[in-house]
Amino acid sequence: MSVNGEERLERYAELAVRVGANVQPGQEVFVHGLVEHAGLVRALTRQSYRAGASYVHVMYSDQHIRRAMIELGPDEALTYTPAWLKSTAETTEGNAQLGTTGNPEPELLADLDGERVGRAIPHESVEIYRELHRKSSINWSAVGAVTEGWARQVLGEPDVEQLWEKIAFCMRLDEPDRVAAWREHLDRLDARAAALMGLRPDAIRYRGPGTDLTVGLLPTARWGSARFRTASGIEYVANMPTEEIFTTPDPTRAEGTIRASMPLSLGGQLIRGLEFAFEDGRIVHVDAETGADVVRGHQANIENADRLGELALVTKESRVGQTGTLFYNTLFDENATCHIAYGFGVPNAFEGEPDERMNASRIHVDFMVGGPELEVDAILADGTEVPLIREEAWQLDS
Amino acid sequence: MDERLERYAELAVRVGANVQPGQEVFLFPAVEHHELARALARQAYRAGAAYVHVLYNDGHTRRAMIELGPDEALTYSPEWLKTFVTSITGNALLATTGDPEPELLADLDGERVGRAVPQELVQIRIQQMTENTVNWCGVGAPSEGWAQQIFGEPDVERLWELVAFCMRLDEPDPPAAWRAHVASLVERAESLNELQADALRYRGPGTDLTVGLLPNVQWVSGASDTASGIHYVANMPTEEIFTSPDARRTEGTIRSSLPLPLAGQMVRGLELTFEGGRAVLVEAESGADLVRSHFATIENADRLGEVALVTKESRVGQTGTVFYDPLFDENATCHIAYGAGFPFLADGDPEGVNGANMHVDFMVGGPELEVDAVLADGTEVPLIRHEEWQLA
Repeated sequence: MSVNGEERLERYAELAVRVGANVQPGQEVFVHGLVEHAGLVRALTRQSYRAGASYVHVMYSDQHIRRAMIELGPDEALTYTPAWLKSTAETTEGNAQLGTTGNPEPELLADLDGERVGRAIPHESVEIYRELHRKSSINWSAVGAVTEGWARQVLGEPDVEQLWEKIAFCMRLDEPDRVAAWREHLDRLDARAAALMGLRPDAIRYRGPGTDLTVGLLPTARWGSARFRTASGIEYVANMPTEEIFTTPDPTRAEGTIRASMPLSLGGQLIRGLEFAFEDGRIVHVDAETGADVVRGHQANIENADRLGELALVTKESRVGQTGTLFYNTLFDENATCHIAYGFGVPNAFEGEPDERMNASRIHVDFMVGGPELEVDAILADGTEVPLIREEAWQLDS
Repeated sequence: MDERLERYAELAVRVGANVQPGQEVFLFPAVEHHELARALARQAYRAGAAYVHVLYNDGHTRRAMIELGPDEALTYSPEWLKTFVTSITGNALLATTGDPEPELLADLDGERVGRAVPQELVQIRIQQMTENTVNWCGVGAPSEGWAQQIFGEPDVERLWELVAFCMRLDEPDPPAAWRAHVASLVERAESLNELQADALRYRGPGTDLTVGLLPNVQWVSGASDTASGIHYVANMPTEEIFTSPDARRTEGTIRSSLPLPLAGQMVRGLELTFEGGRAVLVEAESGADLVRSHFATIENADRLGEVALVTKESRVGQTGTVFYDPLFDENATCHIAYGAGFPFLADGDPEGVNGANMHVDFMVGGPELEVDAVLADGTEVPLIRHEEWQLA
């Protein structure tokens, strides 16, 4: 491999800008990243200007500042949305957005009061972004940012190069024509979604160790890949990598129990061994080996955080899954295996306005449920069960 | 936790900006300053801040804008950023200095670098300074890049020791040491005010400059009170007494005595020649285009806004170090600024005080610089000789 690190970084950023957010000439671009992600944030900024951006707004965030607020600040600070932050969110309308993930210190807040950590959300700006997503008025993408801290978490040592190689593989940077490779990949996922929709399933059933859950579907919600289109017609890929097909379920119909199959990094804490029990669509019981309070804080304080918002199916062709790596990062881990989200639904699952039944919570938290033993079936209106996934292999024809 | 860092941040928060319980606090650090930014945020919350807003800036994304962005981007002031800056009114502000890569933009077109100023934002800040509605403080943030610039090696610990000395962190009670230090500067400013000087005259190698003073504009120290009465020290360290001169009366030539890192370029050997209050000639070994671009594109940037006197008692000067940072270097030696003056010093009548949307300090002091006060009757009273203060 003759590509040096700098060139790889620029190629990676170019892919995120051109295929991911698909920044259009004349658009403003908002780049959101942690201070530790400065290297990638700078490359995304350069590539956005090269793609014709009229201005790039760089919005760094810092978990240590957030920690100071939660640990030392007054109660009111936790949910405060500054006017400038609202203005930032409003200005994003009609523009492009790039976000970086890959937490260098995923357990930074582990020793803080979980209830306070769960409550610390600037609701007003979250609400604005939610509305922009509902109206499909942002072309955006999220990509991973390699740091020593993240490498240590994933590999047990700060081997940044090894983490880069895994991510480059997941991102198809090894393909001779990366743009074409991404197009083919997304076409495959869309064909799979079409085959599933052809069944007109009424519900999805999950069975496995600690899991027997049935989730009802909304008749108008589609299955699809993360390749979306804004209301103004800009095609974009919201997550890179992406290996899933997903839908937004009926938030009033979930029965049974489900066990997460991977740890989940959430609000600066690591949630291990998460288990939910559902009745009538609502989470009635939360268990976890660590971090249960953060999840319970969400359930207690945020309306409809106790109902589902997303179901996503991933199989073993996944490049993320093929790395055999636990990334401790939702963007990657959710593309390694099947996952489910509680909270806000996915408006992109609808053509036009979302069904009014879609979960309208202010939060969206993905957790991984897939694994070799998970069986996923489609339940048709007449009760027939059609196998979708067995031993992580897709069971339908496409 | 690094105790020195926390004590340093505490001094900046409690003595510098003097954050009041219930105030919101605004931080503008470079991404490379995140360790200090985090300590400032912690100390601000400990001092009772209602909320700490942190807006990181990044020289590299600024470089991308200047190098690759469209012309319109250079002067654009985004709406949310105007809201951010406007929200500082009535609140506290902490700024960090110490550029980790002071020559990051050295290879870019100086004219474009000079034009890249979000003037609407600067205008809001100047309005806040004019009305004195913000208790604020600028402090240095040691980083590897800054240490590299100073020492030729990334010896952050050595830089920390110098900064701690300048900040009086070696004193048993640093806040008390600061109170005594500020009091001695106030006394010096008052002795100069009593002279009621009409002008200042600078003489030295390459320098013979006369700058008119305004009768109603006071000399002051770096400590002041907001309109609502919050006492703050705007720069830490501070060793200067300063005033805003009459922007209409500057004649002669002045040569800068230290290199000046400015907007990502290094201005070396700067020489300005003034006629009728305006800089009519700009010479420099490097960075002249950047300064010329300021003068060409920003109204009244070519007139003076500040004159400041520093003598050899300065702790910064005692380090014998060129910091390549205005906050430190301007407190090592006498300096002058082109661009905006300080209307709040003018006792209600800012006529003659420069209202430009920019303020750039450059250093002019040194062992050979002589500074005199010129009285209304033409008498010249020595103020500084061999870097020593001459008034009683």
